[in-house]
Amino acid sequence: MNDLPFHLLLFAVAGTVIVVISAFFSEPEDSAALRAIPRRLFWFFVGCAGVAAVMLVCEHTFARVGSV
Amino acid sequence: MSPSSPRASQPVVAPVVPLALTWFLPGAGHFYMGRFRTGLIAFVVVEGLYALGLLLSGGMFLEYLPPEMQGAFAAVLSPEVGNLGALLFHVNHFGYGPGQPRVWPDTMDIGTTLTAASGVLNLFVMARAHLDARAPERDQERALDPPTAALATWLVPGLGQFLQGRKLRGLLVFVSLTGLFLIGCWLAAGSNLDRERHFYYWAGQSLLGSPAILAEFVHGHPRVTGEVPYADGGVVLACVAGMLNVLMMLDAFAWSEERQLGKPPKAATEPAPESVPEPGLASTSPEPEGAEA
Repeated sequence: MNDLPFHLLLFAVAGTVIVVISAFFSEPEDSAALRAIPRRLFWFFVGCAGVAAVMLVCEHTFARVGSV
Repeated sequence: MSPSSPRASQPVVAPVVPLALTWFLPGAGHFYMGRFRTGLIAFVVVEGLYALGLLLSGGMFLEYLPPEMQGAFAAVLSPEVGNLGALLFHVNHFGYGPGQPRVWPDTMDIGTTLTAASGVLNLFVMARAHLDARAPERDQERALDPPTAALATWLVPGLGQFLQGRKLRGLLVFVSLTGLFLIGCWLAAGSNLDRERHFYYWAGQSLLGSPAILAEFVHGHPRVTGEVPYADGGVVLACVAGMLNVLMMLDAFAWSEERQLGKPPKAATEPAPESVPEPGLASTSPEPEGAEA
Protein backbone atom coordinates (compact mmCIF):
# COMPACT_ATOMS: atom_id res chain seq x y z
CA MET A 1 0.00 0.00 0.00
CA ASN A 2 1.61 3.22 -1.17
CA ASP A 3 0.29 5.99 1.08
CA LEU A 4 3.08 8.49 0.46
CA PRO A 5 0.92 11.19 -1.23
CA PHE A 6 -1.67 10.94 1.55
CA HIS A 7 1.01 11.13 4.22
CA LEU A 8 2.54 14.17 2.55
CA LEU A 9 -0.87 15.83 2.36
CA LEU A 10 -1.49 15.20 6.05
CA PHE A 11 1.95 16.52 6.90
CA ALA A 12 1.31 19.65 4.82
CA VAL A 13 -2.00 20.31 6.59
CA ALA A 14 -0.59 19.73 10.09
CA GLY A 15 2.55 21.74 9.29
CA THR A 16 0.51 24.65 7.98
CA VAL A 17 -1.62 24.77 11.13
CA ILE A 18 1.49 24.63 13.33
CA VAL A 19 3.11 27.48 11.39
CA VAL A 20 -0.03 29.64 11.41
CA ILE A 21 -0.50 29.23 15.17
CA SER A 22 3.18 29.85 15.90
CA ALA A 23 3.08 32.99 13.76
CA PHE A 24 0.07 34.27 15.71
CA PHE A 25 1.82 33.41 18.97
CA SER A 26 4.98 35.26 17.99
CA GLU A 27 3.38 38.35 16.44
CA PRO A 28 0.77 40.22 18.47
CA GLU A 29 -0.43 42.20 15.46
CA ASP A 30 -2.49 40.38 12.85
CA SER A 31 -0.96 42.05 9.81
CA ALA A 32 2.60 41.26 10.89
CA ALA A 33 1.62 37.67 11.67
CA LEU A 34 -0.05 37.17 8.31
CA ARG A 35 2.92 38.70 6.49
CA ALA A 36 5.29 36.35 8.29
CA ILE A 37 3.40 33.16 7.44
CA PRO A 38 4.83 32.51 3.92
CA ARG A 39 8.42 32.93 5.10
CA ARG A 40 7.79 30.75 8.15
CA LEU A 41 6.11 28.09 6.01
CA PHE A 42 9.08 28.05 3.65
CA TRP A 43 11.65 27.59 6.40
CA PHE A 44 9.48 25.09 8.26
CA PHE A 45 9.19 22.82 5.25
CA VAL A 46 12.83 23.32 4.21
CA GLY A 47 13.90 22.40 7.74
CA CYS A 48 11.64 19.35 7.78
CA ALA A 49 12.95 18.26 4.38
CA GLY A 50 16.50 18.57 5.72
CA VAL A 51 15.68 16.44 8.75
CA ALA A 52 13.98 13.85 6.51
CA ALA A 53 17.01 13.75 4.22
CA VAL A 54 19.39 13.19 7.15
CA MET A 55 17.15 10.43 8.48
CA LEU A 56 17.00 8.72 5.10
CA VAL A 57 20.78 8.85 4.73
CA CYS A 58 21.24 7.43 8.24
CA GLU A 59 18.69 4.70 7.60
CA HIS A 60 20.29 3.79 4.27
CA THR A 61 23.76 3.76 5.81
CA PHE A 62 23.20 2.10 9.18
CA ALA A 63 19.88 0.30 9.12
CA ARG A 64 19.46 -1.00 5.60
CA VAL A 65 17.57 -4.30 5.59
CA GLY A 66 17.43 -5.02 1.83
CA SER A 67 19.94 -7.30 0.07
CA VAL A 68 23.12 -5.60 -1.13
CA MET B 1 -6.03 49.78 57.53
CA SER B 2 -8.05 52.12 55.39
CA PRO B 3 -11.39 50.83 54.18
CA SER B 4 -11.57 53.44 51.40
CA SER B 5 -10.03 51.33 48.68
CA PRO B 6 -10.14 47.57 48.86
CA ARG B 7 -7.18 47.26 46.52
CA ALA B 8 -5.02 49.74 48.33
CA SER B 9 -5.56 47.84 51.56
CA GLN B 10 -4.18 44.62 50.15
CA PRO B 11 -0.85 43.37 51.39
CA VAL B 12 2.03 43.20 48.99
CA VAL B 13 2.79 39.52 48.53
CA ALA B 14 5.13 37.48 46.42
CA PRO B 15 2.98 36.29 43.49
CA VAL B 16 4.21 32.74 43.84
CA VAL B 17 2.50 32.41 47.23
CA PRO B 18 -1.12 32.91 46.08
CA LEU B 19 -0.25 30.90 42.96
CA ALA B 20 0.87 27.89 45.02
CA LEU B 21 -1.99 28.26 47.50
CA THR B 22 -4.52 28.30 44.67
CA TRP B 23 -2.93 25.23 43.12
CA PHE B 24 -3.50 23.28 46.31
CA LEU B 25 -6.87 24.80 47.20
CA PRO B 26 -8.85 26.87 44.65
CA GLY B 27 -9.58 30.32 46.04
CA ALA B 28 -7.00 30.09 48.82
CA GLY B 29 -4.67 32.50 47.06
CA HIS B 30 -7.38 35.13 46.85
CA PHE B 31 -8.32 34.59 50.50
CA TYR B 32 -4.65 35.12 51.33
CA MET B 33 -4.73 38.46 49.49
CA GLY B 34 -7.97 39.52 51.17
CA ARG B 35 -10.16 39.05 48.11
CA PHE B 36 -12.74 36.93 49.85
CA ARG B 37 -15.53 37.15 47.29
CA THR B 38 -13.32 36.06 44.38
CA GLY B 39 -11.80 33.32 46.51
CA LEU B 40 -15.19 32.01 47.59
CA ILE B 41 -16.56 31.96 44.02
CA ALA B 42 -13.42 30.20 42.76
CA PHE B 43 -13.60 27.62 45.55
CA VAL B 44 -17.28 26.85 45.05
CA VAL B 45 -17.09 26.60 41.25
CA VAL B 46 -13.82 24.65 40.89
CA GLU B 47 -14.30 22.30 43.83
CA GLY B 48 -17.99 21.95 43.05
CA LEU B 49 -17.12 20.78 39.54
CA TYR B 50 -14.63 18.29 40.92
CA ALA B 51 -17.02 17.01 43.58
CA LEU B 52 -19.79 16.56 41.03
CA GLY B 53 -17.42 14.78 38.67
CA LEU B 54 -16.24 12.56 41.50
CA LEU B 55 -19.83 11.69 42.35
CA LEU B 56 -20.77 10.87 38.76
CA SER B 57 -17.65 8.83 38.01
CA GLY B 58 -17.48 7.05 41.35
CA GLY B 59 -13.90 8.26 41.71
CA MET B 60 -12.83 5.67 39.12
CA PHE B 61 -11.05 7.71 36.44
CA LEU B 62 -7.58 6.44 37.41
CA GLU B 63 -8.85 2.90 36.84
CA TYR B 64 -8.83 3.75 33.14
CA LEU B 65 -5.08 3.21 33.27
CA PRO B 66 -3.87 -0.33 32.58
CA PRO B 67 -2.13 -2.01 35.54
CA GLU B 68 1.35 -1.54 34.10
CA MET B 69 0.83 2.23 33.98
CA GLN B 70 -0.58 2.67 37.48
CA GLY B 71 2.55 4.20 38.95
CA ALA B 72 2.96 6.73 41.73
CA PHE B 73 3.04 9.67 39.31
CA ALA B 74 0.66 8.39 36.64
CA ALA B 75 -1.90 11.09 37.43
CA VAL B 76 0.57 13.93 36.97
CA LEU B 77 -0.16 14.27 33.25
CA SER B 78 -3.93 14.30 33.68
CA PRO B 79 -5.80 17.63 33.46
CA GLU B 80 -6.92 17.11 37.07
CA VAL B 81 -3.40 18.03 38.20
CA GLY B 82 -4.44 21.68 37.81
CA ASN B 83 -6.49 21.17 40.97
CA LEU B 84 -3.73 19.50 42.93
CA GLY B 85 -5.42 19.31 46.31
CA ALA B 86 -8.47 17.58 44.89
CA LEU B 87 -6.30 15.19 42.88
CA LEU B 88 -4.27 14.26 45.96
CA PHE B 89 -7.49 13.65 47.85
CA HIS B 90 -8.73 11.56 44.93
CA VAL B 91 -5.56 9.47 44.77
CA ASN B 92 -5.57 8.91 48.53
CA HIS B 93 -9.21 7.94 48.81
CA PHE B 94 -9.89 6.14 45.52
CA GLY B 95 -6.51 5.39 43.97
CA TYR B 96 -6.55 2.73 41.29
CA GLY B 97 -9.51 0.85 42.70
CA PRO B 98 -9.65 -2.67 44.12
CA GLY B 99 -7.19 -4.06 41.58
CA GLN B 100 -9.70 -5.80 39.35
CA PRO B 101 -11.84 -4.46 36.48
CA ARG B 102 -15.19 -3.00 37.46
CA VAL B 103 -18.21 -1.83 35.50
CA TRP B 104 -18.13 1.93 34.91
CA PRO B 105 -21.10 3.96 36.11
CA ASP B 106 -23.44 5.18 33.36
CA THR B 107 -22.30 8.73 34.06
CA MET B 108 -18.59 7.88 33.95
CA ASP B 109 -17.78 9.99 30.88
CA ILE B 110 -19.48 13.15 32.04
CA GLY B 111 -17.99 12.64 35.51
CA THR B 112 -14.40 12.37 34.31
CA THR B 113 -14.95 15.31 31.96
CA LEU B 114 -16.05 17.42 34.91
CA THR B 115 -13.04 16.50 37.05
CA ALA B 116 -10.77 17.30 34.11
CA ALA B 117 -12.58 20.62 33.53
CA SER B 118 -12.09 21.45 37.20
CA GLY B 119 -8.34 21.01 36.84
CA VAL B 120 -8.15 23.16 33.72
CA LEU B 121 -10.40 25.82 35.25
CA ASN B 122 -8.17 26.10 38.29
CA LEU B 123 -5.24 26.96 36.02
CA PHE B 124 -7.07 30.15 35.09
CA VAL B 125 -7.83 30.86 38.75
CA MET B 126 -4.11 30.40 39.47
CA ALA B 127 -3.23 32.80 36.66
CA ARG B 128 -5.71 35.31 38.08
CA ALA B 129 -4.25 34.99 41.58
CA HIS B 130 -0.73 35.51 40.26
CA LEU B 131 -1.81 38.53 38.22
CA ASP B 132 -3.74 40.05 41.12
CA ALA B 133 -0.64 39.74 43.31
CA ARG B 134 1.67 41.18 40.65
CA ALA B 135 -0.54 44.01 39.50
CA PRO B 136 -3.46 44.73 41.81
CA GLU B 137 -3.82 48.21 40.31
CA ARG B 138 -4.38 47.63 36.62
CA ASP B 139 -6.62 49.39 34.16
CA GLN B 140 -9.39 46.85 33.64
CA GLU B 141 -11.25 49.15 31.25
CA ARG B 142 -8.58 48.85 28.56
CA ALA B 143 -9.01 45.20 27.74
CA LEU B 144 -10.77 41.99 28.62
CA ASP B 145 -9.44 40.50 31.85
CA PRO B 146 -6.41 38.33 30.88
CA PRO B 147 -7.51 35.10 32.60
CA THR B 148 -11.02 35.56 31.18
CA ALA B 149 -9.59 35.97 27.68
CA ALA B 150 -7.53 32.81 28.10
CA LEU B 151 -10.51 30.95 29.50
CA ALA B 152 -12.63 32.02 26.53
CA THR B 153 -9.93 30.69 24.20
CA TRP B 154 -10.01 27.36 26.02
CA LEU B 155 -13.79 27.17 25.82
CA VAL B 156 -13.84 27.96 22.09
CA PRO B 157 -10.51 28.28 20.24
CA GLY B 158 -10.19 31.87 19.02
CA LEU B 159 -13.04 33.22 21.17
CA GLY B 160 -10.69 35.13 23.46
CA GLN B 161 -9.06 36.84 20.49
CA PHE B 162 -12.50 37.54 19.00
CA LEU B 163 -13.71 39.18 22.21
CA GLN B 164 -10.52 41.25 22.30
CA GLY B 165 -11.49 42.68 18.92
CA ARG B 166 -8.98 40.63 16.94
CA LYS B 167 -11.69 39.01 14.89
CA LEU B 168 -9.63 37.82 11.93
CA ARG B 169 -7.14 36.16 14.27
CA GLY B 170 -9.93 34.54 16.27
CA LEU B 171 -11.58 33.20 13.14
CA LEU B 172 -8.35 31.79 11.71
CA VAL B 173 -7.45 30.19 15.02
CA PHE B 174 -10.87 28.57 15.28
CA VAL B 175 -10.79 27.26 11.70
CA SER B 176 -7.19 26.01 11.95
CA LEU B 177 -7.43 24.22 15.28
CA THR B 178 -10.95 22.87 14.96
CA GLY B 179 -10.16 21.76 11.41
CA LEU B 180 -7.02 19.92 12.52
CA PHE B 181 -8.96 18.30 15.35
CA LEU B 182 -11.75 17.16 13.02
CA ILE B 183 -9.21 15.71 10.57
CA GLY B 184 -7.75 13.77 13.50
CA CYS B 185 -11.21 12.50 14.48
CA TRP B 186 -11.87 11.46 10.89
CA LEU B 187 -8.57 9.61 10.57
CA ALA B 188 -9.11 7.80 13.87
CA ALA B 189 -12.77 7.13 13.08
CA GLY B 190 -13.68 8.76 16.40
CA SER B 191 -11.59 6.28 18.41
CA ASN B 192 -9.58 9.20 19.78
CA LEU B 193 -12.70 10.49 21.55
CA ASP B 194 -12.42 8.11 24.46
CA ARG B 195 -10.49 8.71 27.66
CA GLU B 196 -10.42 5.02 28.52
CA ARG B 197 -8.72 4.16 25.23
CA HIS B 198 -6.26 7.09 25.06
CA PHE B 199 -5.81 8.37 28.61
CA TYR B 200 -2.94 10.81 27.98
CA TYR B 201 -3.76 11.83 24.39
CA TRP B 202 -7.26 12.60 25.64
CA ALA B 203 -5.67 15.01 28.12
CA GLY B 204 -3.94 16.83 25.27
CA GLN B 205 -7.02 17.12 23.10
CA SER B 206 -9.14 18.23 26.07
CA LEU B 207 -7.17 21.48 25.93
CA LEU B 208 -9.17 22.30 22.79
CA GLY B 209 -12.22 22.86 24.98
CA SER B 210 -15.76 22.65 23.70
CA PRO B 211 -15.02 21.19 20.22
CA ALA B 212 -13.35 18.20 21.86
CA ILE B 213 -15.96 17.84 24.58
CA LEU B 214 -18.91 18.21 22.21
CA ALA B 215 -17.40 15.85 19.64
CA GLU B 216 -16.90 13.25 22.36
CA PHE B 217 -20.48 13.38 23.53
CA VAL B 218 -21.86 13.37 19.99
CA HIS B 219 -19.57 10.87 18.32
CA GLY B 220 -17.25 9.50 21.00
CA HIS B 221 -16.73 6.02 22.40
CA PRO B 222 -17.45 4.21 19.12
CA ARG B 223 -17.26 0.45 19.03
CA VAL B 224 -14.18 -0.35 16.94
CA THR B 225 -14.83 -3.56 15.04
CA GLY B 226 -12.03 -3.50 12.49
CA GLU B 227 -8.67 -2.02 11.76
CA VAL B 228 -8.55 1.77 11.60
CA PRO B 229 -5.56 2.37 9.30
CA TYR B 230 -4.73 5.88 10.50
CA ALA B 231 -5.88 5.62 14.11
CA ASP B 232 -2.50 6.59 15.54
CA GLY B 233 -2.10 9.55 13.20
CA GLY B 234 -5.59 10.76 14.02
CA VAL B 235 -4.97 10.60 17.77
CA VAL B 236 -1.74 12.55 17.38
CA LEU B 237 -3.30 15.28 15.21
CA ALA B 238 -6.22 15.77 17.62
CA CYS B 239 -3.79 16.00 20.54
CA VAL B 240 -1.58 18.48 18.65
CA ALA B 241 -4.64 20.67 18.01
CA GLY B 242 -5.35 20.81 21.74
CA MET B 243 -1.76 21.59 22.64
CA LEU B 244 -1.52 24.35 20.02
CA ASN B 245 -4.54 25.92 21.68
CA VAL B 246 -2.37 26.46 24.76
CA LEU B 247 -0.28 28.87 22.66
CA MET B 248 -3.43 30.77 21.76
CA MET B 249 -4.52 30.91 25.41
CA LEU B 250 -1.13 32.45 26.23
CA ASP B 251 -1.54 34.86 23.31
CA ALA B 252 -4.94 35.99 24.57
CA PHE B 253 -3.63 36.38 28.13
CA ALA B 254 -0.53 38.34 27.12
CA TRP B 255 -2.43 40.67 24.78
CA SER B 256 -4.88 41.71 27.52
CA GLU B 257 -2.17 41.87 30.15
CA GLU B 258 -0.03 44.23 28.10
CA ARG B 259 -2.93 46.58 27.61
CA GLN B 260 -4.14 46.48 31.19
CA LEU B 261 -0.65 47.12 32.53
CA GLY B 262 0.01 49.87 29.97
CA LYS B 263 3.04 48.13 28.47
CA PRO B 264 3.86 48.56 24.82
CA PRO B 265 3.07 45.38 22.87
CA LYS B 266 6.02 43.10 22.36
CA ALA B 267 7.63 43.26 18.93
CA ALA B 268 8.97 39.86 18.01
CA THR B 269 10.89 41.16 15.01
CA GLU B 270 13.09 43.60 16.86
CA PRO B 271 15.73 42.66 19.44
CA ALA B 272 14.72 42.76 23.06
CA PRO B 273 15.65 46.12 24.61
CA GLU B 274 17.96 46.20 27.61
CA SER B 275 15.36 47.18 30.23
CA VAL B 276 14.44 50.84 29.83
CA PRO B 277 12.00 51.54 32.66
CA GLU B 278 12.08 55.31 32.31
CA PRO B 279 9.75 56.79 29.71
CA GLY B 280 12.34 59.28 28.54
CA LEU B 281 13.70 57.21 25.70
CA ALA B 282 11.41 56.92 22.73
CA SER B 283 10.33 53.47 21.73
CA THR B 284 9.80 52.27 18.17
CA SER B 285 6.58 50.67 19.34
CA PRO B 286 3.38 52.12 17.88
CA GLU B 287 1.83 52.17 21.38
CA PRO B 288 2.24 55.64 22.93
CA GLU B 289 4.49 55.74 25.98
CA GLY B 290 2.16 58.05 27.85
CA ALA B 291 -0.64 55.54 27.80
CA GLU B 292 -0.01 54.29 31.31
CA ALA B 293 -2.97 54.29 33.58
